[in-house]
Amino acid sequence: MSDPSGAAVASESSESEQGGAEAGSAARKKADESNADEANADESNANDGVATGQVSETTVEGNETPGEGGDSTATASTDAPTDRERRREVATDRWLGIAGAALALVGLGVLVRQSSLLLAGAVGVGYAVYARAGDAPTPTLSVTRSVSDEAPAPGDEVRVTVRAVNVGETALPDLRLSDGVPPGLAVVDGPARVATALRPGTAVTFEYTVRAARGDHEWEPLTAITRDAAGARERSTALDAPTSIACTPELTAGGDLPLRGLTTVNHGRVPTDVGGAGVEFHATREYRRGDPLKRIDWNRRARTGELSTVELREERAATVVLLVDARESAYVAADPDAETAVEASVAAAGQAFSALLDGGDRVGIAALSPLDCWLPPGSGTVHAARGRETLATDPALAPTPSDGRFYRSLWLRRFRRRLPVDAQVLFFTPLVDDTAATLARRIDAHGHLVTVLSPDPTTTETAGQRLTTFERRQRLRSLRSAGIRAVEWGDDSFPVAVAAATRRWSR
Amino acid sequence: MSGAIGDGDAAGSEHAGDGRTEAKTDDADGATGARAHDDDAVAEFHETDARPPTVAVVVSLAAAGVAATAGLVASPTGGALLGVAALGFLGGSLRSSTRALTWGAAVGVVGLALAGYRGAPAEALLVAAVGLVVAWDVADHGVGLGEQVGRGARVRRNVAVHAGASLLVGALAAGLVYGVSLAVGGGQPVAALALLLAGGIALISALR
Repeated sequence: MSDPSGAAVASESSESEQGGAEAGSAARKKADESNADEANADESNANDGVATGQVSETTVEGNETPGEGGDSTATASTDAPTDRERRREVATDRWLGIAGAALALVGLGVLVRQSSLLLAGAVGVGYAVYARAGDAPTPTLSVTRSVSDEAPAPGDEVRVTVRAVNVGETALPDLRLSDGVPPGLAVVDGPARVATALRPGTAVTFEYTVRAARGDHEWEPLTAITRDAAGARERSTALDAPTSIACTPELTAGGDLPLRGLTTVNHGRVPTDVGGAGVEFHATREYRRGDPLKRIDWNRRARTGELSTVELREERAATVVLLVDARESAYVAADPDAETAVEASVAAAGQAFSALLDGGDRVGIAALSPLDCWLPPGSGTVHAARGRETLATDPALAPTPSDGRFYRSLWLRRFRRRLPVDAQVLFFTPLVDDTAATLARRIDAHGHLVTVLSPDPTTTETAGQRLTTFERRQRLRSLRSAGIRAVEWGDDSFPVAVAAATRRWSR
Repeated sequence: MSGAIGDGDAAGSEHAGDGRTEAKTDDADGATGARAHDDDAVAEFHETDARPPTVAVVVSLAAAGVAATAGLVASPTGGALLGVAALGFLGGSLRSSTRALTWGAAVGVVGLALAGYRGAPAEALLVAAVGLVVAWDVADHGVGLGEQVGRGARVRRNVAVHAGASLLVGALAAGLVYGVSLAVGGGQPVAALALLLAGGIALISALR
């Protein structure tokens, strides 16, 4: 089955034996040798529906599915040629010099009077003619691409099956297909390419597996490269077969994120330095008329006879904006296969988002990116859904860097205009350049208390890497000395790092 | 001659170095390790193996082996040069270098010329010529395939069709000229030369 020439022979025999009968797909070729009853059974099977035929085809591993008779059900649904865009046609110049070499042999043959050399040269002339004879055909293909799961979870493996049928009149002696895998997805099994030869009516199917990553991913057009039989001319064509998957991670609330003391007037869970109703002791003061009885310090009254009132820390809600560094320089990772700092930041921001929202705070999302990304602070279930979608699929937070230049002062002006006065900022950044540190200090200086949460992408194998590590550590140190809270996390998970850091912090 | 091939190999490896060797030396490439982009990782997987597919290399070597054997039958020196050409094809395939393949083909043509000069029989020389062209063609095709679809992709049918077409053309051409030479009766190289040259050139210009 895996031998293409064998498959071709099998299809030949099936055509001759069955004539015009429209039965059987690639998986049923073996039935051809058996008796007519079985063939009939197959036929009824084929009439059952398109679905069976397609399923059997996709499960056949690595086959040039031959046979025009075989795919009657499948091709009926995919008969229309896919939209194509001709890109370029070039001469490959592979055979450059063959005529010269041939004529040189002929000339030598004449000089030394050897007819055998003459004949060998004539063979070369034959190849020269062969190289000039053909023209790269324009493929007329019907391309269908199917994915095993259109809404996978992050990290899931998605099987992609591409099937191309030659629905044109011309044979394609040399066809190379290269699928336009979205840049954010990694192919983990089997190259997304195939090279084959297709007669009219035949099809090729190839499969590969991608690992789903957060975001909306749309496939780029399939590139088909055709050559003539001699390979002297090459034509490149783009075939548009739109497919997309959307991968939206579930947000889990991770840990208890301590916020700084910038709050709204609403009741919440952030302890403040304002005395009033609450649970934690704050101060005592003189009794004023109207103070609730249960806040009067009765012990003191018994001891000294004076009335005094206990003040408790008021717990208020905060407005928090989660700012994710998604500039191109933030797309760094400890090694080429590891997840980038942006991915780590977005995952941590997702945990913080649901944790804060559950705690009654108002949470917004912004990105430090050339593209605009702004979800105003809010609360409620609709806001939770919107936040989840923003974190998953916003182009500014895509798994690959976005094009365009980042203008720091423009961005800061716009960000400050949008930021509510009482909002504090949780800044997720790998801190691999000074811009991020400077921005954190400037936002903090404008009265929006900043907490820097930094995934650690550095390693220490080479001298250059150690220097980068040192520079980053220095940035963290200077931020901390400027009074900005900073948490970094590397291999251990974000909630663990936060819990460990929280113990050191005073309010 | 072998020096020339070595030269070609070195130049070829330089040429190949711009895109493919990066993928192989990813762990040695430390400076970018800390700030490698995500899409680079993806690209690296795609380009993990841009060497020619095994089947193309094997077919090419088989054809080159046939050519060298036929050359040895005709003339030891010519056969040796054809063997060097086969080694050139192997090296070019392993290094994905079309320049090495071209050098190999050039050495093979010189081998053919030498064998013919020493008076090799026409049959052996024809077989050697066809074998040489098919070997170069398939090896070069394989390098192209390696660049465009990579070693891991399914290419057997493609290579089989390409090699088959190449062999068919060679066999037809060789059969034709051999038949003509038999019909002419041999011993009249000048007449045969005029016929073939005129015919070949007329064909080329007509088909252009």
